[in-house]
Amino acid sequence: MKKYTAFLLLFSMALGAFAQTKPTPKKEQDYYEIKTLPIPKEIYLEVGGLATMPDGRLAVSTRRGEIWIVENPYQKTSHQTYYRRFASGLHEVLGLAYKDGAFYCSQRGELTKISDTDRDGVADLYEPIYTFDLSGNYHEYTYGPVIDKNGDMWVSLNLAWVGFGEGKFAKWRGWFVKITPDGKLEPFAGGLRSPAGYSFNDEGDLFYGENQGDWVGSGRVTHLAKADFAGNPGGLKWAKEPNSPLKLSLEEIQDNGSPMFEAAKKNPKIKLPAVWFPHAIMGISTSDILQDTTKGKFSPFPGQYFVADQGQSKVMRMGLEKVNGVYQGFAINYREGFQSGILRERFGLDGSMFVGMTSRGWGSTGKDEYGLQRLFWNGNMPFEIDMIKAKSDGFEFSFTQPVDVNSVKKAASYAIRSYIYKYQHQYGSPIIELKDLKIKGVEVSADRKKVRISIDGIRQFFIHEFTLKGVLNEKGEPLLHETAYYTLNEIPKGPALVAAAPQDEIHVKVTEVKVVSKGLGYELAISNLLKKHTCSACHAKDSKLVGPAFTEIAKRNYSNQQILDLVYKPRPENWPDFATEMAPMSHVPKADVLKIAGWINGLREKEGLKNRD
Amino acid sequence: MKKILFSLLLVAPICAWAQQSIPLTDLSAFDQPSKNWTIEQAVFSNYSDTAFQVSPGQGVLVNTLRGGKYHRSDDLKSKMQHGDIRLLVDFMLPKGMNSGIYLQGRYEVQLFDSWGKKTVKYNDCGGIYERWDESRGKGNEGYEGYAPRQNASKAPGLWQTLEIDFQAPRFDANGRKTANAIFKKVILNGVLVQENIEVSGMTRGAIFDKEAPFGPILIQGDHGPIAFRNLRYETYEKPTASLGEVSYDYYTGKFTDPIIPTTSPAKSGKIPALTYRVIPVNNDYLIHYKAELSIPEDDNYEFQTYWTGSGELKIDGKVLNNGAHWFNEMVPASTFLKAGKHQLEIIHIKDFPWGPKALGLNVKRIGSRLVSLHERTSLLDPDAVGLIEVKANAEPVLQRSFAFHLGKKKTHVIQVGDPAGIHYSYDLKQGAILQVWRGKFLDATQMWDNRGEPQTSEPLGLNVVQDGKFPLVLAHQVQPDSTELVYKGYRLEAGRPVFMYDWTAAKLWVEDRIQPAGNGLRRTLSLVGASPQKSDVEAVLATGHHLSLLQNGLASQPGNFIEWKGAAAELLKMPAGAQQIRVPFSGAQFTFDLIW
Repeated sequence: MKKYTAFLLLFSMALGAFAQTKPTPKKEQDYYEIKTLPIPKEIYLEVGGLATMPDGRLAVSTRRGEIWIVENPYQKTSHQTYYRRFASGLHEVLGLAYKDGAFYCSQRGELTKISDTDRDGVADLYEPIYTFDLSGNYHEYTYGPVIDKNGDMWVSLNLAWVGFGEGKFAKWRGWFVKITPDGKLEPFAGGLRSPAGYSFNDEGDLFYGENQGDWVGSGRVTHLAKADFAGNPGGLKWAKEPNSPLKLSLEEIQDNGSPMFEAAKKNPKIKLPAVWFPHAIMGISTSDILQDTTKGKFSPFPGQYFVADQGQSKVMRMGLEKVNGVYQGFAINYREGFQSGILRERFGLDGSMFVGMTSRGWGSTGKDEYGLQRLFWNGNMPFEIDMIKAKSDGFEFSFTQPVDVNSVKKAASYAIRSYIYKYQHQYGSPIIELKDLKIKGVEVSADRKKVRISIDGIRQFFIHEFTLKGVLNEKGEPLLHETAYYTLNEIPKGPALVAAAPQDEIHVKVTEVKVVSKGLGYELAISNLLKKHTCSACHAKDSKLVGPAFTEIAKRNYSNQQILDLVYKPRPENWPDFATEMAPMSHVPKADVLKIAGWINGLREKEGLKNRD
Repeated sequence: MKKILFSLLLVAPICAWAQQSIPLTDLSAFDQPSKNWTIEQAVFSNYSDTAFQVSPGQGVLVNTLRGGKYHRSDDLKSKMQHGDIRLLVDFMLPKGMNSGIYLQGRYEVQLFDSWGKKTVKYNDCGGIYERWDESRGKGNEGYEGYAPRQNASKAPGLWQTLEIDFQAPRFDANGRKTANAIFKKVILNGVLVQENIEVSGMTRGAIFDKEAPFGPILIQGDHGPIAFRNLRYETYEKPTASLGEVSYDYYTGKFTDPIIPTTSPAKSGKIPALTYRVIPVNNDYLIHYKAELSIPEDDNYEFQTYWTGSGELKIDGKVLNNGAHWFNEMVPASTFLKAGKHQLEIIHIKDFPWGPKALGLNVKRIGSRLVSLHERTSLLDPDAVGLIEVKANAEPVLQRSFAFHLGKKKTHVIQVGDPAGIHYSYDLKQGAILQVWRGKFLDATQMWDNRGEPQTSEPLGLNVVQDGKFPLVLAHQVQPDSTELVYKGYRLEAGRPVFMYDWTAAKLWVEDRIQPAGNGLRRTLSLVGASPQKSDVEAVLATGHHLSLLQNGLASQPGNFIEWKGAAAELLKMPAGAQQIRVPFSGAQFTFDLIW
């Protein structure tokens, strides 16, 4: 009884507090919801592959070599799911497909067909479709198959890791291959490093997600046509094979640290990515990619692509257009906060997306070792950038809701800059050739859902980063995601914008919580900064994620200036226990870093107080 | 997705230190042996025999009943007296037999025919026998005693191996015991069955009434026949190498090779013992250590180094080893050194940021225990990783993985575990059994912990390695190292796999069934299809040295018996003195058992 009263009291206090504050800014979860599928405790569901079955069940393959069939995965009549072990004993199943009553999966060394011939719910026939070469290196992962409309199976073959990516130890490592149902292999494209996720779009074009590493300055999505070379030469030994569609050798590839497009100018076999995903901002380990073909069920963005990230446990959105026959487009955040590192995305029958996860030895923002969740749109329309299109002198943005015209006509509503990465045999790359850009003109469409801007000095091949921090909808609300990254492979021809220059620098008062007292407002302001600059993707206040906890950083007794220096030029050797190195975050404004640094050091003071108690 | 410089290879070199051996050319090493003990050339026994067949000669120590009864006086005592000792011996028991090895004549490791027992106690093979005290009252005399971790016993009639690392009890000047005897390790047939077990006093049947610093090896001979060979040991009474004060020069910069720079060092100093802890940065340095190495006596000395990064070990200017390694990789290098003072140098660099700094240097001399020459905190403990065990307790369990076989990593391997406790590894590319074992099923830690870099799994029980070749050949043709086969998958029958192959040369479909039978595995190879070669197929049952055809349908090779029904075997002569056992197919099927 006493408990009950106390609860009521708390509840009414909370209500009171709510009544006094302004409506909270909209969050991702207000539109894009995540449901968690419970996993029985004894199952180690490190997801490698997912396959939606037409009968309403979901199949999940795991690193430990099992295939589980999950009944009631949409949790319709109850929240409980039922796991039936269909197959076991396989070698690290990182891809799964279901077709005509049988499963097709990749093991490390084999593309395998698995059948239940006596229909007792458990597989009893395991047949190889194709046996892959392996050297025994742990990094020779095999992903797939993705089955195309002809019934052919596509498999991607990861490079070995020996201090750098190496494909020469085993045949077709670093390649996409196509395998017919009767086991004939056809090499399709090369230059892959770590091709964990790929799929075909509705036009039958193949896209894959690549991880930052040697020859890969940052995460990216590349469209691959036959005989394309995606950039990492580790597997080029096999280009000498008679059936290789690609003829290329390492000697033909420039390795001087200039951007990839420079190398591609000299050697057009090098395929530039359709979209760069800036490292540490838009993920650290790009994994699966899936086009929204649910005709408006899954998201407000039909036809766009959803790209997952393992390290940052999030799903990002990618919008593509074709300019001069070349795919290009933008990346923008969509939904973060998944329970573990995302490896797989597959649409369910109802247009929701199953998300399969494992973090293994890499660490991820989502702290669970593995997990299975479902992402869906609740039908409310967020205020978001819908699409970005390149124009001859700038870009055209379309929005999901009409914009407030005043807000989009102010120059201060935009922060725009462009940059690129190095193309080199070394691991990763800093951001290079960074340039701030100014708006020359703005034009708003009659329905106020499109805004065209012209910009001084757009650069072909560069990533153009837009922060639309002042753009509001008619209700005066900001965008759910204000920053987008457009990769400008091609600049279309067309008339230039003849429009008035943006209104003068009338600064919109961006609501900023003033740091008066170090109370709740302060914590909120800092938490917003941490989110805005993606710090919280890898760090948490008290716990170890991809990077150390802020309280641990506080214990190092750095000055605020030292923290600033380390943010701009990290020294991973200071944190030898962490598997993933921090990327230089020199794009974050100094003032913001110093605010964060002050807060981090404040954590130490509190620690001290606590100890005195 | 992330960088790791070195693949963590399984670096577990078996210490190949030569030992002293007790020559089994005669019985002169033993103190008044009873007439039951003889020296022979070889002994043989079927797994169901209770006695040996003996062939005369030298090399094997055999206990045979010559009078009417065995007596305690049939125990065999070494003339050698030992304190701390590492003892290695091969033994063979006929069916049902019981013996034991008493360290110092006081502490017994039990030898027993425990073959096939599901549970084991202190009185099973590899157990440390119980203690005995009459004063505890009738029925309660026995106490303590330590069961082996698992049953690692082989079939009677097979040679088994035993290694015991024993630390003798310690006494003060007044003869009072200050430390108990410790079995540091007992390894039976390659399986660690005891580790760091301290015994509070003498076990039952000791031949002395008091503990003491020294005593003989005693082999129990009062229960029946037993045979021994390769009796080797190492004791630890010799002095070993030591290191004096260490001076160092420390340089900063990007060094890719352990070559001393010509620039002047950033820092120099002297430290009492070798340690990396004088290095203030995590990477981009070179450090050059120099110290005086004292060698007590002319001998071979093995130096073992550990470092993260690259390094070089030099003695008197001669490079003993160099290379890039991870800190948990032991790198051995042996050299002969004369007694006296020598100069030892280590140059060490680390030119990458990840991974912990570490530096270790051990020295080993036969007759002296392994000694660390570095300061204790200079070498890190390996990560505390718990075992990931795959169990096969309820139904057959299959698990594909990489697996080492005869030092080579095989990539298309499946492990099959059975609730019967009989398991095997199978090469899917070659239709070949790689190894068979009994006991616990599989250690998958290297595959499923963290990123799983070695990606191998290992047997958790008593393992017998097989030749890893496809067992079928066309008559009169040489068995190739690798047969041209097209793997067609497997289907499950009652949970157990039937492996299927297209045998190209014979134009035959082959089905391979392997399942537990009694205390071994029964393998049935079936030929499917109508090919003219079908009547021309032979099974190769064993190849190598020391093969014996014991009787019709039963052969042995080092490690296991092979038993079959049907045609008589042919024993072929192979190059370099090896032999091969072949049996022609009669009909479309051939079945044989592996028993170990």
